[in-house]
Amino acid sequence: MSHSDALIQELEARAKKMTDHCLTQFCTFNQGHVGGTMSVMEIVTALYFHHIKFDPKNPDWPERDRVIMSKAHCCEAIYAALVELGMYSEEQLGTYYCYASPFQGHADRWCTPGIDFSGGSLGQGISFANGLALAEKLKIKLNPPSREDTFLPRYIVRYNPKFRTYVIMGDGELHEGQVWEGLMFASKFKLDNLIAIVDYNKWSLDGPTNDIMPIEPLADKFKAFGWTVYEVDGHDIRQLLDVLDLVHKQYGDNKPKAIIAHTVKGRGVSNWEELHMHLGRGDEMKKGVAEGRAKYGNVE
Amino acid sequence: MATWNKYVSIGAPAMTGKGIGKAIKQAFIDNPKAIAILEDMQFPEIEWFTDNMFDRMIECGIAEQNATGVAAGLAAEGFVPVTYNFLFASMGRAYNQIRQSILVDRFNVKFLAREGIWGEVGVSHATIEGWGSLRNLPNMVLINPADSVEAEKATTAMMQYIGPCAVKMEMSPNPFTIFTDDYQFDIGKAYSLRDGKDATIIATGYMVTEAIKAVDILEKEGLDVGVLNMSTLKPLDEEAIIAAAARTGAIVTAENSSDINGLGDAVACCLCENLPTPLVKVGIEDEFGQSGLITSERDELMDHFALSADDIAVSVREVLKKKAKFAK
Repeated sequence: MSHSDALIQELEARAKKMTDHCLTQFCTFNQGHVGGTMSVMEIVTALYFHHIKFDPKNPDWPERDRVIMSKAHCCEAIYAALVELGMYSEEQLGTYYCYASPFQGHADRWCTPGIDFSGGSLGQGISFANGLALAEKLKIKLNPPSREDTFLPRYIVRYNPKFRTYVIMGDGELHEGQVWEGLMFASKFKLDNLIAIVDYNKWSLDGPTNDIMPIEPLADKFKAFGWTVYEVDGHDIRQLLDVLDLVHKQYGDNKPKAIIAHTVKGRGVSNWEELHMHLGRGDEMKKGVAEGRAKYGNVE
Repeated sequence: MATWNKYVSIGAPAMTGKGIGKAIKQAFIDNPKAIAILEDMQFPEIEWFTDNMFDRMIECGIAEQNATGVAAGLAAEGFVPVTYNFLFASMGRAYNQIRQSILVDRFNVKFLAREGIWGEVGVSHATIEGWGSLRNLPNMVLINPADSVEAEKATTAMMQYIGPCAVKMEMSPNPFTIFTDDYQFDIGKAYSLRDGKDATIIATGYMVTEAIKAVDILEKEGLDVGVLNMSTLKPLDEEAIIAAAARTGAIVTAENSSDINGLGDAVACCLCENLPTPLVKVGIEDEFGQSGLITSERDELMDHFALSADDIAVSVREVLKKKAKFAK
């Protein structure tokens, strides 16, 4: 499609910068959810730096697109994006995990302007996103209409601004029963303004996701629940931009959209990839951060 | 017969659900942002809603966890969602969804929770431990109205309050209404039905009815016993509790749910910290519910769990013995 090479290169550079910001966060306590954060980096980059409507100067802008990080243990990637957008300083990255920091261990809407959902308890993001997407579609009938409102046609007002809702889920998270309740709901209410992105990095805490509890055939399951499904390489910015554009244009077809993004856990750092590392700590963390620093940018 | 304070007038029987239905209907007329979240368990005044508010009813099916998240999302966008279900389903099944998706961010979601130890439903539906389990959730407001009049006013107050709030809809049929129509309900304010001199029964929900009956039983024995209606379990009206304890020096608490983490524990804790006072709890002791028969003469479950007016009277006599012992 129509995305220029220059744009792709710019976003790839941005993803590297974000990775570097995440490494800074991991260094704070030599701990962090490295696996899922590294796998979701390009997805977050494509959303925040090209695709979504978002005003860093006005994070509560009613018309902003909502991004719900349901796998909120990987909120480091979102924090990195908010820093890159200028909402927070690079110094604040060093307060990750700290008391009274805007960068809490799991995303917290109350503490961090720019965050739309306090995630962390897995499986809940899809339902919250359902609520947002439904709110975008609901129109309010003033009943009874007040005198000021009588000029409105049939007393129906569009109370709510137009926006899209994106929910980022992990593959392990799909084990939660609530997710499937949520998928049914989105389909029933024809939430074509809702886009679910699965960061399918194939590994969860105890081992391979499909050994722990098989989720395959995943695309067929989404389809059977009434969703339109696309599969992309979740580290290929061009593919991500293309598919995001495609689903954007399909608004009005009454179907929720799922993008299954195939990714690699701990991507970009060799020992994290080899170990499929979930929560990084200890020597493996130090080793990985050193390699990442050399690869992604500013060496301390 | 005992005398009662200003807003008390014993009237005809009425279910608390009737008052809730009336209030919720009016709240939906007044506030176009109110949205009904259905969990395949109908809704108060369902027929009126189906006729008049069909576009504001979101049927989520038997999937309470998702329904709770949907409610949170709608509230985040300025709507006022109201969920309605048995307490075990909407609040027990979705406990963590309520905590994480709603209370952490103080989203303006309302809960109508059907609950009670009534009759036929059996152990699954009589979640007698459920109400108390919500008490240690930050940002939650818990109201258990005593009769249909208070239920109506409490539901109106809940809909006007900005923040998460639950009203318990007692399923036990009330033998009489307690309050006059001009009774003033405020969230977090207890109301003294009768001040008393010898002891105070602090009761909540359906048990206010039994407390009133107990006062008459005890009056025949020459005892002047007060009744404090503690409809808001959280935030607790500590001032009213301390004032009652200071006045009578003996407290009996009465709730028709688990006495662990419920009203009794809340009152006991408040008094231990502020004004240690002899206290006896009437409630369900660490036990699950079951089915039982209710007739005009007898309520098998109230007898089984020792919650009737006679049981409250026994507890008052017991606390008076403690009071005498403490005085020595």
